[in-house]
Amino acid sequence: MSSFGYLFIKEAKQFFGNPFMPVVLVLLPVLLMLLVPLAANMEVRDVSLSIVDLDRSSLSARLSDRISRSGYFVLKSVEDTYGKAMDQLSRGNVDIILEIPAGTERAVSRGESVEIFIAANAVNSTKGMMGGGYLSSIVSDFSSEMAASGGNPASVPLRITPQYRFNPHLEYKLFMVPALMIVVIILVGGFFPTMSIVTEKENGTIEQMNVSPVRKRDFILSKVIFYGILGVFAFTLSYLIAHFVYGLAPHGGLLEIYVSAMIFLVFMGGFGLIISNYSDTLLQSVFLMLFFVLIFMLMSGIFTPVSSMETWSQYFTYILPTRYFVNILRSVCLKGSTFADLAFDYIMLSVFAVVINIIAVVTYRKQN
Amino acid sequence: MMGNGGDILYRMTHGGRHRDLHEHLVRDPRNVIEVDHLTKKFGDFTAVDDITFDVRKGEIFGFLGANGAGKTTAMKMLTGLSFPTSGTGQVAGYNIWTQSEMIKKRIGYMSQKFALYGDLTVYDNMQLFAGIYGVPRAEADARICNLLERLSLVQEKDSKVGDLPQGWKQKLAFSVSIIHKPEIVFLDEPTGGVDPAARRQFWELIYEAVDEGITAFVTTHYMDEAEYCNRISMMVDGRIGAFDSPAALKKRYGAGSIAEVFDILARGAKRGE
Repeated sequence: MSSFGYLFIKEAKQFFGNPFMPVVLVLLPVLLMLLVPLAANMEVRDVSLSIVDLDRSSLSARLSDRISRSGYFVLKSVEDTYGKAMDQLSRGNVDIILEIPAGTERAVSRGESVEIFIAANAVNSTKGMMGGGYLSSIVSDFSSEMAASGGNPASVPLRITPQYRFNPHLEYKLFMVPALMIVVIILVGGFFPTMSIVTEKENGTIEQMNVSPVRKRDFILSKVIFYGILGVFAFTLSYLIAHFVYGLAPHGGLLEIYVSAMIFLVFMGGFGLIISNYSDTLLQSVFLMLFFVLIFMLMSGIFTPVSSMETWSQYFTYILPTRYFVNILRSVCLKGSTFADLAFDYIMLSVFAVVINIIAVVTYRKQN
Repeated sequence: MMGNGGDILYRMTHGGRHRDLHEHLVRDPRNVIEVDHLTKKFGDFTAVDDITFDVRKGEIFGFLGANGAGKTTAMKMLTGLSFPTSGTGQVAGYNIWTQSEMIKKRIGYMSQKFALYGDLTVYDNMQLFAGIYGVPRAEADARICNLLERLSLVQEKDSKVGDLPQGWKQKLAFSVSIIHKPEIVFLDEPTGGVDPAARRQFWELIYEAVDEGITAFVTTHYMDEAEYCNRISMMVDGRIGAFDSPAALKKRYGAGSIAEVFDILARGAKRGE
């Protein structure tokens, strides 16, 4: 067996001999994938609604019924004045007020237009905006149906039917889940080898390696490959959860996903090595790693779309490998893109992986 | 040489190795280490200042000095852990500037700090180090068995190294450092922090290794241990203050023990402990 073989076995024995690490390896992807998408959800449901029904007609009753059946709203109260409803809103009991003015039914039956008033509490801007949007679309649906059934084709307004491609229900979960799979790789493929090397520095065992004929290539590879395999395992675990729990990746090819995950793992391994080359203590390395990982995660479109960033930071994302990886994952999972479609992203990701590993090997010194 | 228990006892009581009538009992007069004007600077600080010495094959060479005298720094240059600022040297016939990887195959090193994998078992550590030095599998197994018996660690074979008592850890670390039968073993303060009985046992291990033909290069600040060496060099403030056999040094300085010689030399030292 070569030195590499002995070192690889050593890594495995150290890792699996530790009572804590194998548990972390399994719990990390499982908890992250199961808890976070359920908790961190941008979808708006259960918006508390107050209807000020000044019309008190069968039409207003049907509209109220229609709204409460939509599933997005909880009808909290029906008030008879706007003032009372506003009072509820300012106390935080309701999020949105819908006012149906008196004489609505009559006006509709005469084919006149009616102004329906919506007031939303925008302290939680997402909830206010999305709730307002849902409500107005229900109302306009309703009014166009009314017009159609009233046998007055001339008054049927132009209808816009948006079709959301690739994520038809605009589920934030489907946006979020690939991002979490990346977080899993960053943690297992980046943090684990870094901590393992710096621990060897702290314990002085790396010095014992440095006076031995072990080639630095073998020493580094034993860690990168071992933790790379663990990374693939953790990624697979999170992929299975994504698939069976969230129904992700009905379109994508597995090969596309795994090739990109491997390239990214190689990148993270090399990146972790550079960090460990420049830090002497565990504390130092964890903080350095955290600093870069936060930038990787928050500025590359993992959680917020690149297209909604400031222009300068949109350019900045080109130097973050996570940008390419998240793009590949989302495109493959949601759109079913192939290697050919994503050639640019694959090439850029590979360039990052190669360059960072060259830097890692060059900056690791056995002798100084 | 005899290499039996009686010989060891003789050395323990009489100081140093059993010597021939001629001053230097060296089986092979060839030098395994030659150091020529070696200097190491860290910024303005000169840790090792222009040292020149040689180590003969098969001897126990004591590298003495107070804490901070530059012993470890000098040793790191010889073991290929760091480059000198100037000067040159040869270890096992290879240049320390250009052939450090060749040197590393032929030396063993026991660090001042315990540096085996504490989270691996005794057996795993032995197997790992035999493996990375390229000892063939069957041969390694035989040597491991032998070592476990000699160190009375057979029972502890599957214990984690981190859980062993300090004295055992040091004996184990030494045995692992010579598991590949190197030409030279470098021992950096190997007996720090252990009781006198354990220290004596440790020196018996060194003698056994030397009897097998390994040259021992030992740093220490226990002056009584210096008496066990064939030749010693005393470092003071990065320079070599004295360099000879213990007997010759005592004679030259009119001292009763090496500790006295050291006191005389250290009086002029500027770097405190």
